[in-house]
Amino acid sequence: MTNTTRREILKYGAAAGLATSIAGLPNFASAAGKLKVGAVYVSPVSEIGWTKQHSLGIEAIKAEFGDKVELTVIENIYLPQDAERIFRELASSGNDLVFGTSFSHGTPMQKVAPRFPNVAFEHCSGIKHLKNLGTFEAKYYEGTYVAGVTAGHVSKSAKIGFVGGFPIPDIVGPANALLRGAQSVNPDITCNVIFLNSWFDPGKEKEATKTLIAQGCDVICSMTDTATGVQVAGENDAWSIGYGGDMSQFGNGKHLTAFTLNWVPIYVKAAKDVAAGTWATSERWQGLSDGIVQMSPYNTNLSAEAVAEAEKARTDIIAGTLHPYAGVLKDQAGTVRVEAGSVLPNGDIRGFNWFVQGMIGNLG
Amino acid sequence: MAFKIEPRAEPSRSMAIAAPLIAIGLTVIISSLLFLSLGLNPFVTLYTFFVQPLTTLNGVSEWLLKASPLILIACGLAIGFRANVWNIGAEGQLIIGAIAAAGVGLFSPWQESVLLLPMMVIAGMVGGALWAAIPAFLKDRMNTNEILVTLMLTYVAALLLSYLVHGPWRDPDGFNFPQTALLPQAGMLEVFDYSYRLNTSIFFTVVVVILAWVFMERSFLGYKMSVGGIAPAAAKYAGFKASASIWIGLLISGATAGLAGMSEVAGPLGQLSSQISPGYGFAAIIVAFIGRLNAFGIVLGGLLLSLIYLGGEAVQLKLGLPSSIALIFQGLLLFFLLASNFLINFRIRKLTTRAL
Repeated sequence: MTNTTRREILKYGAAAGLATSIAGLPNFASAAGKLKVGAVYVSPVSEIGWTKQHSLGIEAIKAEFGDKVELTVIENIYLPQDAERIFRELASSGNDLVFGTSFSHGTPMQKVAPRFPNVAFEHCSGIKHLKNLGTFEAKYYEGTYVAGVTAGHVSKSAKIGFVGGFPIPDIVGPANALLRGAQSVNPDITCNVIFLNSWFDPGKEKEATKTLIAQGCDVICSMTDTATGVQVAGENDAWSIGYGGDMSQFGNGKHLTAFTLNWVPIYVKAAKDVAAGTWATSERWQGLSDGIVQMSPYNTNLSAEAVAEAEKARTDIIAGTLHPYAGVLKDQAGTVRVEAGSVLPNGDIRGFNWFVQGMIGNLG
Repeated sequence: MAFKIEPRAEPSRSMAIAAPLIAIGLTVIISSLLFLSLGLNPFVTLYTFFVQPLTTLNGVSEWLLKASPLILIACGLAIGFRANVWNIGAEGQLIIGAIAAAGVGLFSPWQESVLLLPMMVIAGMVGGALWAAIPAFLKDRMNTNEILVTLMLTYVAALLLSYLVHGPWRDPDGFNFPQTALLPQAGMLEVFDYSYRLNTSIFFTVVVVILAWVFMERSFLGYKMSVGGIAPAAAKYAGFKASASIWIGLLISGATAGLAGMSEVAGPLGQLSSQISPGYGFAAIIVAFIGRLNAFGIVLGGLLLSLIYLGGEAVQLKLGLPSSIALIFQGLLLFFLLASNFLINFRIRKLTTRAL
């Protein structure tokens, strides 16, 4: 392991849990009795971020099943045209369970799944499920709310910045919750928003982060597949909030906390159920209380008060006594959307397409 | 020992045949070294890259499906490139073509008419051509640089698409996700067989290839445009109008790109979403040059580029290579192909050093 490229590929290979040997010729059939699992990643597996968290799920399946599983992984599949081909390929080459890991994999999976009724499909961040297509998703907004509390404590300019991949409900909602968390500390805080229209574009993300800092934002939260937001914030002496995994190593000491995603239980359970023949389609939408969303260690420079308040928010959300979208909830124009005493219904949360009061920016 | 590069008096015929062979040879040698250094068997890897994807009927269907838009766009681009009209923004024209076609498909009152599909074809081509008309007008009247304008308009088109799918055209039953409703059945291109995705849009490509060949090699107008590209002063002296070349070059390439966009949205996609093209508009520029701006060369170029996309996926799926290695391999092949074309018009001569 003296050369970098070799180490690189070994790392990727290990991360993907690939045991495929090159000894056999292509198109080899799998040994009978093995569970075959395929996964499609939307971006390259890197050290950190969205796809990395999914690769941990696949790795966990490998650890659980050992020789009894054969894994096939493909990365960097974003567009529906390509995704449909890949899902067909994975289903027709004998995989028993196929994971799609991005919203854009949804339509292709919905087209492919009915043609392969004996294959179980699992779609992360999906909304429509079918008889053999299950969906799972995290309540990111619970994590951003807790992170927002820490942001509320450190922001001197009372301005925080948010960089989002696409203005889809899974991003708009958490941005709203981030501000709600910050406003629970200081009601005057506002949040500037920029969307990249890409999940993986470090160049654009860097520009967006710098723009937000130039606008006076002193806390940056970036929901993309990279650690660029955290890194650029750290370089410019701004606080940051990580997403996906603990990004403190990139934050130049300014990483407040990260809301991390733990898909492992979902991946392992799906594989076990398929192996046992008990898999059935379902919709899972889980957050802090299920351990699917977790908070990474808080920055040691945070005051004890800030940490205590953030922890209280976290435990209250788990206990169900605090809801990030509890009324009174007003939109950007000041119209009351949720009355005091009630919370935003789940259907509206899954379809969030408006900003709460204090958000500065447009959808799309 | 010193070498000198000198232009050939006329393009070398033997090199025209040898260049791609040299390129393939160099690619095989360099990539084998790469694969060996990664501990991979080069024979298996190359087999997986080039042969494996075509061993099933589904693979062939996917191969043609991906090659078709590339060839379609590259044929249009080549007409302009020959006349020194550099349309770099086919990607944007493709997007606008897809938007126009989807607009007709989703919102026109003829949802079940057999005329819906032909109208979408026209809308797609007109949409792409109109988008290309902007740089044509600016170049003709204000002598702006069409390379910049076409490229910049690509981003405008992408943002317009993003606006539509996030805003007014969003599927009302789609949980607010950024995509339109599915096109009606009458607005979808027919597939040959329900097990495969290849659809009738392949016929558009066949027709366009033949028309492009006739236009470029057999028509007087095509000849005039080529002369204008090679020797603008001579063309002007002969009374050929430069502005005609600009308009024809951009409008034709815009229309073919728009048609490709229509074929994508009415074919494998079935709806608009915030990103609809895997960079076909840009890849088609490479295809046009691999094909040496010749319609039939472009067919080969498109088939090759499509195959190496599929091969890049196959080595990931079958051998577990990371996508970056597949990209390096694709880059190597394209680099050698385009670089070896240099030898057709230039020769490298060894200089004999003389003692003073």
